[in-house]
Amino acid sequence: MTGKRKTQLWMAVMGIAFACVAARAQDVVIVANRSVVASQISEAQLREIFTGVRSRLNDGTRTVPVLLKGGAVHEVFLHHYVRDNPEEFRTRWHKAVFTGQGSMPKEFGSEAELLNYVEATPGAIGYVSRVNEKNSVKVLRVLQ
Amino acid sequence: MPRRTLLMFLLVLCAGRLAAQDLGNLQIHGFATQGFLYSSANNYLTMPSSHGSLQWTEGAISVNDSLSDSLRVGMQIHMYQMGQIGGPRIAVDWASGDYRLNDQLGFRAGKIKLPMGLYNDAQDVDSLFLWTLLPQGIYPVDNRDYDLALLGVEAYGERSLGARGGRVQYSAYYGESTLDPDGGYLLQLSEYGATFPHPPSGRDFGGDLRWVTPLWGLMVGASAQSQAMDGAGPEGSLHMAPVFLPAYYAEWKKGKASFEAEYWRSPMCPVLTLGPEVFAAAFDQRALYGMASYQVTQKLQVGAYYSHNVNKAADTSLAENYSKDWVVSGRYNFNQYFYGKVEGHFLRGTGLGYYTSTNPNGLQPNANMLAARIGFTF
Repeated sequence: MTGKRKTQLWMAVMGIAFACVAARAQDVVIVANRSVVASQISEAQLREIFTGVRSRLNDGTRTVPVLLKGGAVHEVFLHHYVRDNPEEFRTRWHKAVFTGQGSMPKEFGSEAELLNYVEATPGAIGYVSRVNEKNSVKVLRVLQ
Repeated sequence: MPRRTLLMFLLVLCAGRLAAQDLGNLQIHGFATQGFLYSSANNYLTMPSSHGSLQWTEGAISVNDSLSDSLRVGMQIHMYQMGQIGGPRIAVDWASGDYRLNDQLGFRAGKIKLPMGLYNDAQDVDSLFLWTLLPQGIYPVDNRDYDLALLGVEAYGERSLGARGGRVQYSAYYGESTLDPDGGYLLQLSEYGATFPHPPSGRDFGGDLRWVTPLWGLMVGASAQSQAMDGAGPEGSLHMAPVFLPAYYAEWKKGKASFEAEYWRSPMCPVLTLGPEVFAAAFDQRALYGMASYQVTQKLQVGAYYSHNVNKAADTSLAENYSKDWVVSGRYNFNQYFYGKVEGHFLRGTGLGYYTSTNPNGLQPNANMLAARIGFTF
């Protein structure tokens, strides 16, 4: 194989890998209670909310982050938006809990349970794979 | 010992079942660990480690509740036994009310953990770390409970410096800290013939400032503390004038790798009076470490560190005035609740972690040691 063909092959592989990662991140929908005024949120804000650094949005709305207990959507969300793996994320929150500096966000076993909680809780923000018209939640657009 | 270990595991397992129930905002978490030390020479941390020792059990249960959007209360009880240190007494690790006005300012009051350096406030939570033993030059496990928390107030917060400036986190505290009645300092004092019905205590104040830089993964910071201590007993008294303790640290995380380093200085001169005799011990401890770790897989993490502690106020060529430790470590998470750790130590010097009562025949200047720990957390 010539050097040029090798380069093309690598570029193709990298392109496919990048497309896969991007597609997986797009499979995560950020949802919020309808009391949240903002319609979009930055990646940095999302990370700060889900790591406990930030408790309010720029408009002053208090946020209540909620999590899925596990699964692909949970892992993709953590990887793409929080930049932690599940182990790192749990350790981060355990540190807050065991040093008296915070409480773990609520966790839900299913997307339906999470959506019900977000619908009912002012300031709640979470993530799911999809929403439908029956879900009375706000979908937040994520800014890079 | 096995009975106590079993009791602790049963306790956390029962609490784990409670946590699985819907208790509204009330949260219950906990951990339990069992450690093992085996050293080629000397008995370390009051355990008969030269014969292999399992005398190291710890556990804690934490309860906290959000009473409102801004107010949270909580408490953690902790029990540990490490050789002759610790015991069956269940101590309050922290118990505080936390009022968060906004992200820039919050207050805690009660028994609060001390923010000092990278790990001081978390050093008793084994599940957070790769390491079986944190660098003992800075985080001595035998005197941990005194350094860990104080009875007082803390103001804390964080502020964004914009997209290009990163973020700063800050805290300041004031209160009173008391020597652990079952800890290493009082054990050492008792070896000199001084006992204290009420453990010596003193006023502390200090603060911590850390900058999460815009350079991804890099955080730098500094802490400072003023510490004083007084106590009296039937044989005499202990006095330490206020001392200034600075600490500097940095952490860098890049992908699966992370690097940390700290430098602490502790100049102090405690004075022990026993009848007509006065003993003034001058210390100028300079301690530092550098550590690196790598997440090999989601379950396996490996790393190494070098810890260095020297008393510059004494003859640093004597083994009793320094402690240097090369460490290699591995941790495996069996699942999200159970983990195990194994660690090799190459100890040079006897300045830290050794007690006369458990080394009556004197100390070898060097020793190698195997440390292992299994733990459960939820």
